[in-house]
Amino acid sequence: MNNNENIIEIKDLKKGYDNGKIKALNGMNLKVKKGEFISIMGPSGSGKSSLLNMIGGLDIADEGTIKVAGIDMMTTKNLNKFRSKEIGFVFQMHNLIPNLSVVENVEIPMYETNTSSKDMRKRALELLKSVNLGDKIDQKPTKLSGGERQRVAIARALVNKPSIILADEPTGSLDSKTGEVILDLLKDLHKKENVTLVMVTHEPYVGNMAERIITVLDGKCLSDNRTTNSK
Amino acid sequence: MSFLSLVVKNPFRNKTRSSLAIVGIAIGIMVIVALGMITGGLESSTQSTLKAGAAEITVSQAGSTGMESSGSINQTYATDILSLSGVKSTAGILRASNTTTATTSSNSTQGGFGGGLSITGIDSDKLSLMSIDSMNGTAFTNDSTDQVIIGKTEAQSLNKTVGDTINLYGQNFTITGTFETGNFMTDNGIVMPLSTLQNLTSNQNKVSDVLVKVTDNANVTTVSNTITNAYPNQLSTSTAADSANRINQGLGFISTASWAISLLAIFIGAVGVINTMVMTVYERTREIGVLKAVGWKNSRILGMILGESIVLTLIAFVVGTVIAVVGVEVLLTLVPSVGNAITPSFSIYIFLRAFGIALLVGVIGGLYPAYRASRLSPTEALRYE
Ligand SMILES: Nc1ncnc2c1ncn2[C@@H]1O[C@H](COP(=O)(O)OP(=O)(O)OP(=O)(O)O)[C@@H](O)[C@H]1O
Ligand SMILES: [Mg+2]
Repeated sequence: MNNNENIIEIKDLKKGYDNGKIKALNGMNLKVKKGEFISIMGPSGSGKSSLLNMIGGLDIADEGTIKVAGIDMMTTKNLNKFRSKEIGFVFQMHNLIPNLSVVENVEIPMYETNTSSKDMRKRALELLKSVNLGDKIDQKPTKLSGGERQRVAIARALVNKPSIILADEPTGSLDSKTGEVILDLLKDLHKKENVTLVMVTHEPYVGNMAERIITVLDGKCLSDNRTTNSK
Repeated sequence: MSFLSLVVKNPFRNKTRSSLAIVGIAIGIMVIVALGMITGGLESSTQSTLKAGAAEITVSQAGSTGMESSGSINQTYATDILSLSGVKSTAGILRASNTTTATTSSNSTQGGFGGGLSITGIDSDKLSLMSIDSMNGTAFTNDSTDQVIIGKTEAQSLNKTVGDTINLYGQNFTITGTFETGNFMTDNGIVMPLSTLQNLTSNQNKVSDVLVKVTDNANVTTVSNTITNAYPNQLSTSTAADSANRINQGLGFISTASWAISLLAIFIGAVGVINTMVMTVYERTREIGVLKAVGWKNSRILGMILGESIVLTLIAFVVGTVIAVVGVEVLLTLVPSVGNAITPSFSIYIFLRAFGIALLVGVIGGLYPAYRASRLSPTEALRYE
């Protein structure tokens, strides 16, 4: 797959909740090329997280088509395998497991990949070093600052070498300075690893870091603009 | 970290709640193991009681229980019964107990079930009818008035050996021998010449029972009936088979009761585990959402929760078993009269059964919470506050 191919293709996607009373997605269209960095913006309740969940195979849409990394998300069963291989999630809340050490948290996604304990540890340590947490590997997440926790979460998202990182307000719970560190890290990663990065945010300055800004309203794509970062 | 270590680690996240669940199941396991050890011990001592039945029939006064502690029938019955068909040999025995416990030993005597010493009088040439076939030392002579032999357990609890002196009925007796029959009642007693005991207890020419050994090809029940028919309303008989049946009925009851208690323990334990694990899953809803988001299969989530539940019950198995073994040993040491009668069974079967029950409780208790966790919708779980 080269960089001109669409890694995400969404056409007329619809998703309702509460027996269709709530239309989280209402005819969403979106194409993302491999290696792109896009941000998704829009008011609360506009369907940003829902869109991300569909891309990540956490939920299944009602209507329309959605293909991610060549997989038809509407018909494929056992999306866990797809998630494990292709997707790395970074949430607003770090969602780390409190009784496990930092390095053990990073190892969690590798259980589904037939990796030996030794190799799991090696890979996790390598990533923690790359997010500058090499000295915190045995700490419990509760002992870390918000920014450090989010860096652990990023390491966890990367551990299976996904082709797409889905970040839902990754800086939402951080102060702006810490947030910048996280964003720099994500940007870096996108550049170095050629990973596709889809980031939901409601802060314009964060959104502007992407190559494209998608604005979502009422479950539809309202605008799709290239930024100055665009290649 | 391996998946297994994760499963073992997780129950310790909420130590209080897990400990409470463990205590609940451990109590059940403890009861199961302790009852198993004791009933197992009773079963094996009954088996030796039966094997030791050298005399197949015990004849006593009609209407008595066969365990009278004083002379109630005439000694002449022993010779009378001998003339009946199918009877090989007979022995009149007198049972008495010396409640004064006037022993020279400094530690007070606790031997015998009544607190006193159980003493049996029998002619020395008839000892085999009590299944005393061999001994350390020698038997008493029939016309001696100062010789006794003593059962192994009684000897231990009185701290006496061959050659020592024991004070009974205010008189000193020399212990000429010690014996072991495997029957805990017999081994927990003292035996002396019949005539001596008759004189000491003023039961001249009286005996408590007559032990009857049947001829090799005679039928025990037939001989037993012959005896009761020959002396209607005077004598009653009980056979070894009768008492075996009685004991087996008792053991059957104990074993049924212990199964019932086990079932109850399983039930209570399973309810406790379900409760604990449902709470765990509820609290970790978001985390389960994350695990699904990073690609965990539903079966792995099911396995994790089920595994945690089994870890809880296996810890409870270890705790409960240790408490049971230590508890039974301590109890038997502190109460020697029970300790002498029962050798607790350490049969692997008891521990396997408890292990199986613990495993079962873990599976039953963990299945529903694990299933629920595995079926959680990832988005709902991640939205969970
Ligand atoms: N699992 C669900 N059950 C019921 N309603 C849902 C569910 N998920 C989303 N919704 C509803 O769908 C709509 C879109 O939700 P979504 O989370 O996608 O919005 P969002 O754009 O991410 O908002 P925010 O910026 O507040 O995170 C909302 O009205 C929300 O309440
Ligand atoms: Mg959202």
